[in-house]
Amino acid sequence: MNDKMKIFNTYHPLGLFIYFASAIVITMFMINPVMLTIAIISGIAFVLTLTDIRTFLKNLAYEIPFFILIALTNPLFSHNGVTPLFFLNGNAVTLEAVLYGLDMGIMILGVIYWCKCYSIIVDSEKFIYLFGKAIPKLSLVLSMALKFVPVFKRQYRKISDAQKCFGYYATDSYFDKIRNALRVFSCLITWSLESSIDTSVAMKAKGYGLKGRTHFHNFRFHIRDLFLIAVTLFMDIVVFTGIGTDIIDFRFYPKITQINLNAESIAVYGAFIILMFMPAFLEIKEKIKWKYYVERI
Amino acid sequence: MEILRGENLSFKYAGGQGNAISDVSFRINEGELIVVMGESGCGKTTLLKLIKKEMIPAGEKIGSIYYKQTKIEDMDERTAVADIGFVMQKVEAQIVTDKVYHELAFVLESLSYKTEEIRIKVGEMASYFGIQGLFRKKTDELSGGEKQLLNLASVMVTSPKILILDEPTSQLDPIAASDFIATLKKLNKELGLTIILVEHRLEEVFSIADRIMVMEKGRIVSFDTPSNTGKFLSGHKMLAGAPKAVVLYKEMKGIGGECPVNVKEGREYILKNFDNKIRSVKEYDIKAEASNGTGDIEENAIELKNVWFRYHKEEKDILRGINLTVKRGEVFTLLGGNGTGKSTTLSIISGLRKHYRGKVFINGRKIKDFKRNELYRENLSLLPQDPITVFVKSDVYSDYADILKAHEIKNNIEERINEVAEMLGISKLLHKHPYDLSGGEQQKCAIGKILLIMPKIILLDEPTKGIDGCGKEELINIVKLLKDKGITVVIVTHDVEFAADVSDSCGLLFDGEILAKASPKEFFARNNFYTTAVNRMTRDIYENVITLKELVWIIKENMKNQKIKI
Amino acid sequence: MDYQRKYEKSENKNIKKISIIKYIICVIIIPTVIFIGTKLFDGKKYAFLTAVVVLLSCVPFIISFEKGKNSTEKMVILAVMIALSVFGRYCFSMIPHFKPITAITVITGIYMGGEMGFLCGALAAVLSNFIFGQGPWTPFQMLAWGMTGLIAGLLSRYLKKYMVALAAYGAVSGIIYSMIMDIWSAMWQDGVFNIKRYVACIISGIPTTATYIVSNIIFLLILARPVGRKLERVKLKADIIEKD
Repeated sequence: MNDKMKIFNTYHPLGLFIYFASAIVITMFMINPVMLTIAIISGIAFVLTLTDIRTFLKNLAYEIPFFILIALTNPLFSHNGVTPLFFLNGNAVTLEAVLYGLDMGIMILGVIYWCKCYSIIVDSEKFIYLFGKAIPKLSLVLSMALKFVPVFKRQYRKISDAQKCFGYYATDSYFDKIRNALRVFSCLITWSLESSIDTSVAMKAKGYGLKGRTHFHNFRFHIRDLFLIAVTLFMDIVVFTGIGTDIIDFRFYPKITQINLNAESIAVYGAFIILMFMPAFLEIKEKIKWKYYVERI
Repeated sequence: MEILRGENLSFKYAGGQGNAISDVSFRINEGELIVVMGESGCGKTTLLKLIKKEMIPAGEKIGSIYYKQTKIEDMDERTAVADIGFVMQKVEAQIVTDKVYHELAFVLESLSYKTEEIRIKVGEMASYFGIQGLFRKKTDELSGGEKQLLNLASVMVTSPKILILDEPTSQLDPIAASDFIATLKKLNKELGLTIILVEHRLEEVFSIADRIMVMEKGRIVSFDTPSNTGKFLSGHKMLAGAPKAVVLYKEMKGIGGECPVNVKEGREYILKNFDNKIRSVKEYDIKAEASNGTGDIEENAIELKNVWFRYHKEEKDILRGINLTVKRGEVFTLLGGNGTGKSTTLSIISGLRKHYRGKVFINGRKIKDFKRNELYRENLSLLPQDPITVFVKSDVYSDYADILKAHEIKNNIEERINEVAEMLGISKLLHKHPYDLSGGEQQKCAIGKILLIMPKIILLDEPTKGIDGCGKEELINIVKLLKDKGITVVIVTHDVEFAADVSDSCGLLFDGEILAKASPKEFFARNNFYTTAVNRMTRDIYENVITLKELVWIIKENMKNQKIKI
Repeated sequence: MDYQRKYEKSENKNIKKISIIKYIICVIIIPTVIFIGTKLFDGKKYAFLTAVVVLLSCVPFIISFEKGKNSTEKMVILAVMIALSVFGRYCFSMIPHFKPITAITVITGIYMGGEMGFLCGALAAVLSNFIFGQGPWTPFQMLAWGMTGLIAGLLSRYLKKYMVALAAYGAVSGIIYSMIMDIWSAMWQDGVFNIKRYVACIISGIPTTATYIVSNIIFLLILARPVGRKLERVKLKADIIEKD
């Protein structure tokens, strides 16, 4: 997905997992619009460092209607709030519910962006490393399945071509297309199950099933990984304290409350900004460093 | 020093009839490179599996194989995994994981090595095999040759004492196959590794072997040096696939003592023993041509005019203005290196891919004018590289019935099927599962399926891939049979020998163009490297000798001549 | 037949072995999580809590596979079935939501037992989300597909015998899947389970659910028995190749 070398990608999976878990979970819990604004802006910034702007805009075309849908439907289900805008079928559509819908829309979009970044950074390789020790068998199954998918893709093409040349395809109709796809898929199932025998023989020949199997990996834990985890956890503590002690409490119902803007809440917002903008910040820092480095050469 | 010994070994598969291996005894010394040969079904694969503890099949076994005085089945599990390495035929299926480094580490993980130890071993192995650049890649991104090299390397990480390979190159193209065999030779010479190799690319491995084991019907009939094996074979019926020099030796009834086993020795053999007063085979050619006239047919079965093709808009052209005409009833072979676009050309002719410039005519009609499947109804059919992709049903007979149904042929189904089956000699295979057939059998059955729908043109994509010598000879006969039926055959192959034996005309695909379509005689005679073993053997001795038949003919003519003089 | 019996046997053993862990999770951990969660989150934001509970409910199956004795072939076949169900999405991409993932999961459940069926569905969800994006919806998909596989395993005797039962189960599994996924859709907006919203989600999802039902029935009726035969054949072949 991203061929370009990204600095965040080179961190140890454990640190990355903790980081993303924090970012996504905190975003999911937020109601406070300031926090959610931070979450969505940082999410967009992060996505932009990972993908090009074209795919971003293309996805936006799907995301905006989705956002509007969430924002608009909320008042239909929720009639809480004290400021009615108008009545629909005898039910009040309130200002609070509309704003709450918008707020939730931002939250969901934020979570989607952060999940997107997670999917790009914590790829299958890192996932298998993370869970390899806890679930060695299933992570091997996943690794095998990951190997099979592209192999199947190629074989499907081969089978489909071969059968086309035998004149199996009769018409262009929808029904026929499905029938052909089903036949080729069925051939693929046969092929894949038959070749699974060879795979299991190869595994046994390579000693699979002996006791005390270890788990090789290609990741090293550096000081900077420790640093990442430490910063993440510290910011987590600050933010969760903020949530727990109502410093950044915000409510839509029954009446929209004021956004807290005292020293404590600003500290929490600051911590959240540091947490959420860390990847984008690291990426930009890296770019500047390289530019400087290249100029020196 | 002896490393492996078989003692009166017999083996019968569970549920099988008769012994797969009967009363086999042998000794193999450390550092030997052993080639095992024999027709398919002679028990060579079974023998190899009996050496690898984890792969011993279910069945009855009498006698034993000893690895350094220990019975294979009594070996310690970890030693058995580490000391005896096995590389199988199926390149893709024996790769287990999705990453190259994980694949290399797999066996070491099984043997409980720590990450740091694995890293060192794997690093060393990747460097030795020159695949360090692939280390972090996905296994799926590798080429066929690289994949098999990975399979070899991932077995070699435990530094096994014996390496067993079961037809490791049969799914590779010839260049990758030669590289692979060169690697094996290097392992044997540089590390003194004991190698047991089943291989049908005998022209290449015959002379690098220390000893060759010949198997027949579950028995070892000869186990000797290449030269002596050549001698043995010359007095024996099984010769398909043996090096041409050995076949020559047989045809000459063993004149001149030692049996030559490769091109170099073959040349010396001819120079030492035979005259070359008569240098030209023109007379023979005239005779041959009279019997095999395609001459006066003028109808074009396939016509390509200035055809250009690329896979994607942004990519470079694969075909750059190909021109080609194939006459009705002609057998045309398209040769060329890897990735030159041979298979692509076939896919254009077969309508699977669309060219973006130029014209293609099939049986005189523009290919674009054929609607949906008209092209494949009695016009044209393609046998893909991997014949297994052709089968839909769980036995050959129902598969045949199914294709007839798809082509709306409703009468005489049984007769049609039996006719084709008899013609190809596959009647016995009709009720088998396609996946239970050998590579050669699968191919014959796939050709049978094509014959049922009676196309005017048959395209064969690399038909000799994965087929042993015997299968190749059968294939040559089948192509001749197709030709007799008036079917136009276009073959894409790397196999020079096969092309020389089978085609009416050959072309070389290079840089997106077909260079000089010509008769095999002209085509190969002017090539110095890309030509048949017989041609290389006789270069500057005789003129334009391409096939073994011609060579035998000219040598005999010379002998006659000599006798007359005397 | 023999093959089936062997799988069932090994399954029985597994179930005994890990039943304790299962009880611990069901009786202690899940209620604890819910209790702490409700206390902590004070009546809102149940979405995350539900996701955690759902994920936890997959754990017993994962543990029982990890601790149980499974042959190498069984593992490879599981990987093949997972890859097939994920890849199947591409083959039939001409119709939206027409995908064999449920059918393959159900077939795995029927012919290889409920545990395998559950894992096939759950891991297929994980794997396909490597391609389409992971998110808090992953646990729900794991559970939804896993359950269809598990129940198929429990009903395998009937599903093998009667085509009608198979078709009916195809329909039911489409509904189960939609209903579980709609819990998530309804919850994750404001974190509270709102029955009205849930009903709205189900109603607005009817066309999709209908496609699921139709595709499940088609795939199951066409694929189930042939794939069953193929599985039996592979098992037989593997038995000959390996010594047991």
